[in-house]
Amino acid sequence: MTETAGLTRPAAGAQTPPDGTAVCIFAVCHAQTAPDLDGLTGHPGGGPVRTLAAGPLTLIAQSVSAADFAPEACAERFSDPAALESCARAHHAVIAAVARGGPVVPLPLATLYLGPERATAAVAGRADRLLALLERLCHRAEWGLKVYPVRSTPPAADPPGPDSAPAADTGRAYLDRLRNRQQERERQHETAWRTAEHVYAALARQAAAARRLRPQDPALTGGSRRQVLNAALLLDHDREREFRDTVAALARDPAVAAHARIEVTGPWVPYSFARLDDEEQERPADAP
Amino acid sequence: MGGQRPVVSPGRRMDLDEDSVGRDLVALVLTVVELLRQLMERQALRRVDSGELTEAQVERVGTTLMLLEQRMTELRTTFGLRPEDLNLDLGPLGSLLPRD
Repeated sequence: MTETAGLTRPAAGAQTPPDGTAVCIFAVCHAQTAPDLDGLTGHPGGGPVRTLAAGPLTLIAQSVSAADFAPEACAERFSDPAALESCARAHHAVIAAVARGGPVVPLPLATLYLGPERATAAVAGRADRLLALLERLCHRAEWGLKVYPVRSTPPAADPPGPDSAPAADTGRAYLDRLRNRQQERERQHETAWRTAEHVYAALARQAAAARRLRPQDPALTGGSRRQVLNAALLLDHDREREFRDTVAALARDPAVAAHARIEVTGPWVPYSFARLDDEEQERPADAP
Repeated sequence: MGGQRPVVSPGRRMDLDEDSVGRDLVALVLTVVELLRQLMERQALRRVDSGELTEAQVERVGTTLMLLEQRMTELRTTFGLRPEDLNLDLGPLGSLLPRD
């Protein structure tokens, strides 16, 4: 639900349209891309998923009840993980279907306009930037790169840990164990972080663009360990094999495998690279 | 925003039934105590490493911290809490206490 400079919820909630409906925009693609929207239901309770023409661009839109997407209703619904998930999946299903026909700029979840005219006008007003973005995304896909720390074997000097300290222990010995444990933890953090940087640098070199994302909540990923790296790479389709080979080589490298586990997902619709507001934050592929 | 529902991070929505409230409160209190305990340990190590304490003082500090840790373990056992239960997720800031 990130802001797409001026395209996000421009006026929803400010006023209610006369007939109680609003237009939800999922994505923007080239006018010559003919997306196959058959079988798509979009958001439950809304009208059919359809296209709106905006000059050289096409919008993928659906009429929805304005009340369902009012700011208060959205806040309530999106604080429930299950409701947020089903809404995000509906949104993604539409975007994924359009992406099968050609490059697509996905818009943030619940991007609403008061009417079709306002939606097309907003998109037409940014046509140049959207066309440039579509050009950039052509023949490319997003790949997710996540690195998790691997717990290395505990040092022999500290077998049970202070938790199970024997009763006859001395204060000095306890402090020494404490120090060892802290140093060991810091060392492991440091190594995992360095390894992740090494992996990121090696793979970002092959990408057209790369960016770091916020590490995901362990509660969502199902793992107990926090990611040391969560990144997105924009990769040319014809470099996919090379990319996979590099990932495999890195994962086999004992210097990497001892400290980190690499997880690669994709190909994805380039959500992380289809934002109008922050191209300048991305790292050009060949920057040092 | 919805008045009656507290905003909690996904998957850990607070459950307001009687038993779990008591247990959550104990966990929260012990988390704060655990934070202070770990800060004391760090501070103690700094003092020891700076060399400003006599051998007898070091021994006393170490013994005190060791007993404090044992007491903490007993308290956790009493309330059926695991070490990882005494922590708070601070979102983008990571966790309150370091995770192993």
